[in-house]
Amino acid sequence: MSMDFILAQTVVNGLMVGMIYVLMAIGFTMVFGIMRIVNFAHGEFYMIGAFLFAILYGSNGMPFAVSVLLAIGATALLGLLMERVVFRRFRGNELNGMIASVGVALILQNSALLLWGSSARTVPPVVSGVLSVGGIVFPWSRLVVIIGAIVAVVSLNLLIGHTRIGRAMRAVAQDSEIAQVQGIRVDVIFPAAFVLGVSLAAFAGVLMAPVLSVSPFIGLAPTLKAFVIVVIGGLGSVPGAVVGGLLIGLIESFAGTFVSASLSEILQFLVVIGVVLLRPQGLLGRKEREA
Amino acid sequence: MLEVRGISVAYGALSAVRNLSMTVADGAIVSLIGSNGAGKTTTMKAIIGLKAVSSGEIYLDGERVEGVPASQRVGRGIALSPEGRRVFPQMSVLDNLLVGAYSQRDAAQQRKTLDQIYGYFPRLVERRSQMAGSLSGGEQQMVAIGRALMARPRLLLLDEPSLGLAPIIVDEIARIIVEINRDIGMSIILVEQNAKLALNLCNEAFVLETGAVALSGKGKELLASDYVRRAYLGI
Ligand SMILES: Nc1ncnc2c1ncn2[C@@H]1O[C@H](COP(=O)(O)OP(=O)(O)OP(=O)(O)O)[C@@H](O)[C@H]1O
Ligand SMILES: [Mg+2]
Repeated sequence: MSMDFILAQTVVNGLMVGMIYVLMAIGFTMVFGIMRIVNFAHGEFYMIGAFLFAILYGSNGMPFAVSVLLAIGATALLGLLMERVVFRRFRGNELNGMIASVGVALILQNSALLLWGSSARTVPPVVSGVLSVGGIVFPWSRLVVIIGAIVAVVSLNLLIGHTRIGRAMRAVAQDSEIAQVQGIRVDVIFPAAFVLGVSLAAFAGVLMAPVLSVSPFIGLAPTLKAFVIVVIGGLGSVPGAVVGGLLIGLIESFAGTFVSASLSEILQFLVVIGVVLLRPQGLLGRKEREA
Repeated sequence: MLEVRGISVAYGALSAVRNLSMTVADGAIVSLIGSNGAGKTTTMKAIIGLKAVSSGEIYLDGERVEGVPASQRVGRGIALSPEGRRVFPQMSVLDNLLVGAYSQRDAAQQRKTLDQIYGYFPRLVERRSQMAGSLSGGEQQMVAIGRALMARPRLLLLDEPSLGLAPIIVDEIARIIVEINRDIGMSIILVEQNAKLALNLCNEAFVLETGAVALSGKGKELLASDYVRRAYLGI
């Protein structure tokens, strides 16, 4: 294999994994920004999205689009239920909310284990073939993940930045009391933001299902990555999540290909420690406002 | 427009407002003055619904609203420019104003109101894409008032709009308050530490002391009253 080929694959893999992390980190940071909950169950919604897609599309042969919508929709409903039953009670209570989210993560993971067993499933590829650019080939199966994730991030940015509900979400995140007197119902915005975050995680799971194998244990790594990325990029910062996610994805891919996977983990945490020491608010985060 | 009948409000064991009554006639400017901790902000919060009353009634256009949540009172025609301005710091000036119009979904009407507000505060036009948190105090006050106006209220609550502003900006804000009241016939409750300003602008004023109304009357009368002059005007 030529060096060009290896480099190109490494970049594509890094971007793919990175964009998935971006999706995860954005949902994670949104839920924190609005509800002040560090949601360690975030990756379990990724896992469930991936599983539902694997079952609907892979095992039952349902049409692709239907499988995607059903997988995301069902995961979103589960998210809504979890918000109702658990998370809304811990809104604004950072420590207890975090502990509760670990509990929810364990419950979801073990439920998946009971329902679907521990063996890994593979999902048939959604697309095949390669894109050839100047003699270098890129597998479409991976490009599709990158493109899908970019579309999701751009749509989300439009939603948050330029719509009435997006403005309401930002207002609630910045000052929920004053948001109320503008006529915004925070009791609607909180679950809406939570479900939106969960849906992004489910979509990331759906995108990755055909590329990875699916098991009840795949949720933990993306949760931790989302956490790390949010620390690197800055809590509550969407551009920070994009930069941090791509950075971690590329480090992982390059270190994994050229050195070893364990070096990649070490490097990632060195970056985190470096950022925390030198720029505690994150690369693109803002300093905590003075009270 | 508004009638407050004997409301009491408490923070836990601490009673902040006791048996307070006041009325605001259609199109009137009513001032609420008093020293720090007198209960002015608490009264505003009770009227807008951010703080529940423990007793008493609040009538808006003759209908009781104590049970109506804050997010729905704005739809009934009340808007608040809060103490300390409380603009959404990481949103642009324009987005702050658009959030203010959250309860007004008619886009054409929104644009009209926006133009009106830019007319009152021309400075906001050039600042419209700037983050509200990076504005000067005076400009933030203009955003806070503009944001409240975007809801097209019939009753506007202004909590210390002059706080921390240079005299020249205070004059500008005062002029605009009068203009808004005159142009649109909007009723206004003005909370102020700057008693001279408040008494000059208003038709009717209430002096609050330790959570209760100590004195009320026409602004001009209170300006002339010995008690008010000694206690609040430092004369
Ligand atoms: N969130 C709160 N929790 C507990 N006590 C409060 C709270 N807000 C106000 N208080 C108390 O209620 C009383 C009235 O406060 P309020 O803010 O209404 O006064 P104010 O007249 O607006 O004063 P200022 O001119 O300083 O703004 C004060 O004794 C204050 O300490
Ligand atoms: Mg006050």
